[in-house]
Amino acid sequence: MACGILIFTLVTYHLSFDTFHKNPDRIYRFVTEWHDDEIDRSSSVPMPVGTAFRTDFSLGQITARTFLMGNSLVTINQGNDVKKFREENGVTFAEPGFLDIFNFPLIKGNSKELFGKPKQAVVTEKVAFKFFGTTDVIGKVIKVENKTQFTIVGVLKNIPANTDLNTEIYVSYGSLIDYDAFGNDKNWGGVMSSSKAYTLLQPGVTRAAADMALAQLPKKHFTGRDASVWKFKLQPLSDVHFNTEFDAYASKTYLWALFFIGLFLIITACVNFVNLATAQALNRAKEVGIRKVMGSLPYQLFWQFIAETAIITLVGVIVAVGLAELFLPMLNGLFKTEMDFHWMQLSLFIVFATVVVIFLSGSYPGLVLARFQPILALKSKLSQKDVGGFSLRRVLVVTQFVISQVLIIGSIVVVAQMRYAQTADLGFKKDAIVLLPMPKNDKATVGTMRNQLSGIPGVESVTFCMGAPASRSNSTTGINYDNRAEDEHWGINMKSADDQYISTFNIKLVAGRNVFAADTVREFLVNETVARKLGIQPKDLIGKKIAVNGGTIKGPVVGVVKDFYNHSFHSEIAPICIMTQSDNYYTAAVKMDMRHAKESLAAFEKIWSSTFPEELYSYQFLDESIARFYELDNTLLKLVEAFAAIAIIISCLGLYGLVSFMAVPKTKEIGVRKVLGANIGQVLWLFGKEFTYLLLIAFVIAAPLAGWAMHNYLQDFKYKISLGPGIFLAAIASTFVIAAITVSYRATIAALTNPVKSLRSE
Amino acid sequence: MIKITNLEKFYRTEEVETIALNKLSMEVKKGEFVAIMGPSGCGKSTLLNILGLLDDPDAGSYLFNDIEVADFNERKRADLRKHNIGFVFQSFNLIDELTVFENVELPLIYTGVAAADRVKKVEAVLDKMQIMHRRNHYPQQLSGGQQQRVAIARAVVNTPKIILADEPTGNLDSSNGNDVMELLTDLNEQGTTIIMVTHSEHDARYSHRIIRLLDGQTVVENIMI
Repeated sequence: MACGILIFTLVTYHLSFDTFHKNPDRIYRFVTEWHDDEIDRSSSVPMPVGTAFRTDFSLGQITARTFLMGNSLVTINQGNDVKKFREENGVTFAEPGFLDIFNFPLIKGNSKELFGKPKQAVVTEKVAFKFFGTTDVIGKVIKVENKTQFTIVGVLKNIPANTDLNTEIYVSYGSLIDYDAFGNDKNWGGVMSSSKAYTLLQPGVTRAAADMALAQLPKKHFTGRDASVWKFKLQPLSDVHFNTEFDAYASKTYLWALFFIGLFLIITACVNFVNLATAQALNRAKEVGIRKVMGSLPYQLFWQFIAETAIITLVGVIVAVGLAELFLPMLNGLFKTEMDFHWMQLSLFIVFATVVVIFLSGSYPGLVLARFQPILALKSKLSQKDVGGFSLRRVLVVTQFVISQVLIIGSIVVVAQMRYAQTADLGFKKDAIVLLPMPKNDKATVGTMRNQLSGIPGVESVTFCMGAPASRSNSTTGINYDNRAEDEHWGINMKSADDQYISTFNIKLVAGRNVFAADTVREFLVNETVARKLGIQPKDLIGKKIAVNGGTIKGPVVGVVKDFYNHSFHSEIAPICIMTQSDNYYTAAVKMDMRHAKESLAAFEKIWSSTFPEELYSYQFLDESIARFYELDNTLLKLVEAFAAIAIIISCLGLYGLVSFMAVPKTKEIGVRKVLGANIGQVLWLFGKEFTYLLLIAFVIAAPLAGWAMHNYLQDFKYKISLGPGIFLAAIASTFVIAAITVSYRATIAALTNPVKSLRSE
Repeated sequence: MIKITNLEKFYRTEEVETIALNKLSMEVKKGEFVAIMGPSGCGKSTLLNILGLLDDPDAGSYLFNDIEVADFNERKRADLRKHNIGFVFQSFNLIDELTVFENVELPLIYTGVAAADRVKKVEAVLDKMQIMHRRNHYPQQLSGGQQQRVAIARAVVNTPKIILADEPTGNLDSSNGNDVMELLTDLNEQGTTIIMVTHSEHDARYSHRIIRLLDGQTVVENIMI
């Protein structure tokens, strides 16, 4: 029940995402699709798309573009005091009207003229308090990324937890031009993940109508093949949180999986109750007999039992609410969420679930009791058959075993895949490498940093690059090979890095040589996937010219490197080119001797802080940053493990009930068998046989179910473990051991009973 | 064959100590048919359980084929029991989930007889008890008399040296009861020692000797001709 409450909270929390806006069904996000050899999607659009939709069509009531600058540095000057903050949720540049589409109310300031002029900022109460210690901040100034100064003109009510738009600082879109690194307003040909656009459609305008209008844009703004490749569409706001084809955090599949696990747990618990209650019914036969003789009617007995069940269930619910209250913070920690119980809807759920549970588990035993024949009941001549018989119980126990085995197989598969991800050969070295950000990457700074970092004892090598080989930020562009007339129909992942890159990360060359040190692009390294996509042997690629980034970057291929994973195992290894381009070096990667880690890290901080005095120091180990690719998987794993454990415990209770139930009528049989010479082992096997048999039936049902579910789960990974028989064997073996332990206690008691006692009834 | 001397057995609850057997001595020779009689609670069943090595005495000596078994542990008793003693109960004590054949086969399985031999032996004994045609039926499908025959078949399939019968006709009508007594008599004539607890003077007349118990002591021994 506690699990049920927690899962209910989790599911409703996710379903409540962005539903608090005024017209959620009319709000849409613009998205881009590329229909080439494969369909690629992005939740972002080229910057002019929003403007074009606003000016060319009259379908949108309000359309606003945004640009998110993630993890930004915000500086505040108060007198001589300089305070620096790293804003993880970033700073969003927003056009006027953005705050009219979404329901983020202002508590101070005037919403009418917001963002009409550049250099305006709006912050939440929380941020205002963090920066200035007060919410009285109108007119104060903040500096973003050490560039533009924004004046605060409004204070927002705190952003609720259940939104994907979690930025807490909004500034004028018009000021984006101050940040030259972030593209321009007229460029149709590039999609930056930070550039989004939203619209509130006019009342009565359908999504289909808007999509039709949007379909005209590529024809107008692209030429040649691009005009048919590029597509712009609208995505409903309600889809944003769940559609994993874009950038959704929560997949509805996971939520459904959780929902069913919760349902299963409640069912298993009910099954147990029915099981134990009917097994107990025999002991209460006498009471029922007397009540009947005294004139009680069957329906009165039925309701008596329902009432008893209700009391037990209510006590259970009270305990469950307490437990749920206790575990909610843990769950929040696990998911990094800020869920709260919404008592209104939760109490509805609890009442509903309680009533269902009471009737589900109370009615059958109640009926059984009410049906007893009074004479037989009084004479204790009722047999197992009168209380539902043995086969019903078998079905119930098999059901429980199926559920727990599915969960066990599930956790084994997830664990195995996680281990695979963490120990597999990535094609590059990820240990003992520290990543430092490079806020400035002019030639002089890079040169000084290189000399200083290399001079630290314990540092083995230093490379400057856009990012590590496997990274979340990947920049993909078109490629032209060997001056062919047409560009290739696939994109290539551009990595800017210096000549130390492949040695630092231990990436192997399979043909040609490494690039020479340079600050601009003169030559390329590509990976084996490029060769394969082109259908050319790696050695034949050497010396051929390629052009990337719309033909602006050209040069010969001088080497081919072995494939390495450029993201998680969820995605396929992309075609990659590596080139020297120092203005893209946003990261310094340092390979060091871990024995001197402490001194080295201290030295890094000292050098870094003196080189970039205006910035806030931070560093990351590469293996940790790679582990983050699997955060959601790890969360899932913990959850599945916890629920599997609960399910196993519940089914063990069920099994214990079954064995107790079996043991009562079996006592005589055991006595007979012992008189005839059976030893304890042979008697134990009577029970063992029974549950082995049930376990095997359950396994036959559970294995294909779990196999199917896990096959679907692994579909998400491009590189994965195979579902071998070992996993299934491990699952059945572990269930077997657990079940054996449960059974053996009760069975041993039965087996050790002196046969004289069990046969004495004569 | 059986010789007990000064056998004692107590049942204790927290408040009361009941004496079930009070320095009881008796002897049963090979090939004898002995009936034990007495009012309820005189210790008949307790005696039978001890003789059948299902229970151990608190004091006294029990010689089985001249071996002292009073201090045998559970395993040794079970071993001696399954090779030497057959049991017949008032309420038959057949196992409901097993067929007639399987019920009779059970003691052979526990003494480790090979499967082919088991079939032969079971068939022979079922034939002898005239219930061969019922071999694949379950106990509930049989009449009381037939059930008791199956029980006797099960008791003798291992060719035990001694059969302990606890009111074998108690749950039967007189005609079926007589059949069962005839069967026991036949077995006795073929050399099996039989000790039978009974309330029925009629049944007791089939035996060679009646031992009457009262309050855990032998009061009379009648020799039948």
